[in-house]
Amino acid sequence: MIVEGLGEMGSLAERIRLGDSAAETELVRQFSQRLFVMGLVRTRDREAARDLVQDILLAVITALRKGQLLDQDKLAAFVHGTARNIISNHLRSRAQAPRFEPLRDDLAQTHSNHEIEEAERSRLVGDVLGGMRRQDREILHMTLVEGKKPGEIAIALGLTAEVVRTRKLRASKRIAALLERKLSRR
Amino acid sequence: MHCKQIAEQDVLERYLLDQLAEQERDEFERHYFECESCFAQLQTALAVQEEVRHQRPSVSKTRGNFLRGTWVWTPALVTALLLFVVGTWWYSGRRRQNSAPVALQQPATNPAPSISPSSPSLEQLASVEPPPYLATTLRAVQDQAHEQFRIAMQNYSKGDYANAIPGIRAALKVDPKALSFNFYLAACYLLTGQTDPAITFFRKTIALGDPTYSEQSHFYLAKAYLKKQDVAGAEDELEATISFHGGKETEAGEILRQLRK
Repeated sequence: MIVEGLGEMGSLAERIRLGDSAAETELVRQFSQRLFVMGLVRTRDREAARDLVQDILLAVITALRKGQLLDQDKLAAFVHGTARNIISNHLRSRAQAPRFEPLRDDLAQTHSNHEIEEAERSRLVGDVLGGMRRQDREILHMTLVEGKKPGEIAIALGLTAEVVRTRKLRASKRIAALLERKLSRR
Repeated sequence: MHCKQIAEQDVLERYLLDQLAEQERDEFERHYFECESCFAQLQTALAVQEEVRHQRPSVSKTRGNFLRGTWVWTPALVTALLLFVVGTWWYSGRRRQNSAPVALQQPATNPAPSISPSSPSLEQLASVEPPPYLATTLRAVQDQAHEQFRIAMQNYSKGDYANAIPGIRAALKVDPKALSFNFYLAACYLLTGQTDPAITFFRKTIALGDPTYSEQSHFYLAKAYLKKQDVAGAEDELEATISFHGGKETEAGEILRQLRK
């Protein structure tokens, strides 16, 4: 499934070049969560990831305003490439004080809404996990924290790898379904 | 990179664990920058990862510690256990004189008064028929362990499970990795009401990794958990039994259905 409205990404870039502030808000809505996850995974630092999202969005918007995106159909790849460069620079110069230039207030608000959603997601996931069988939680822990493969988990728990895969998939689907149901009501 | 490939190769989990090569990581990121479905799954997995990191469930460790603890029984507990075993053996021997074969511990011919005829109780679902044993005749000379096992299993075949235990244990000392020794020792413990050592040896049978007794071990493990009234544990083992699609599939499915009623 592809992001809704991605076909209009090209026009989004064009609208930003023409100075449409609503298009900038739309860009932030579309990418800030993805950039946060990317930053978090690469830096393992939640605070740094939040700062990086702002740096990246600012750099992307500045570039788009200047019309620096040559192939307008590749906006997602452009955002990703910009993010990769900025995160790499951050990792290289981690000891130095981070450069921080705040986003415009309304853009920062859009980003902040995502943080609220993220906190709500964590709370809901905690609730679902609490109601899950202990062995299912064990499987998720071994998979996502210990990095064990289904075969290894199967040996540790005296199950078959097929059962481990099925349980993991079932647990993930249950959580995803609940999140979709609850978060879509907000 | 596409969605199917991501699911099949556990890309999402490896990404969160920083186990992808740089190029693969870039490809996955570019993918989820455009794919709503994969990004939703990634967000969920990230939230789950953070939660489970703080909620160490340790089922296997808990069970393991508990079982390890049972090996350090105090003399009084051992005495009580022996009395229970002898009592159970004597009682089951008396019952067999009138009705054989019977489900041990909870014979169907004499249900507890509280049992409802329409929906079976946990005790009824936990009733165990002894796993069948067919003595094999080998042309080659039996080694010491197999000879001890063969003699012990003569008691098993007569329904004297308590007296089969010492012989199987002796055989197991000589050959600790023999599947049949572990499985039938577990069965003897289960059939004499010693649920915890039964669980230990069924788990050991499964852990040996040979599928010969795996399905049956999961099935009887489920029975052991039912005896302990651990319904969740029993459900796990019944599901594992069903996954083998073997001879116990139907029975395991029926018990699972009853448990989830």
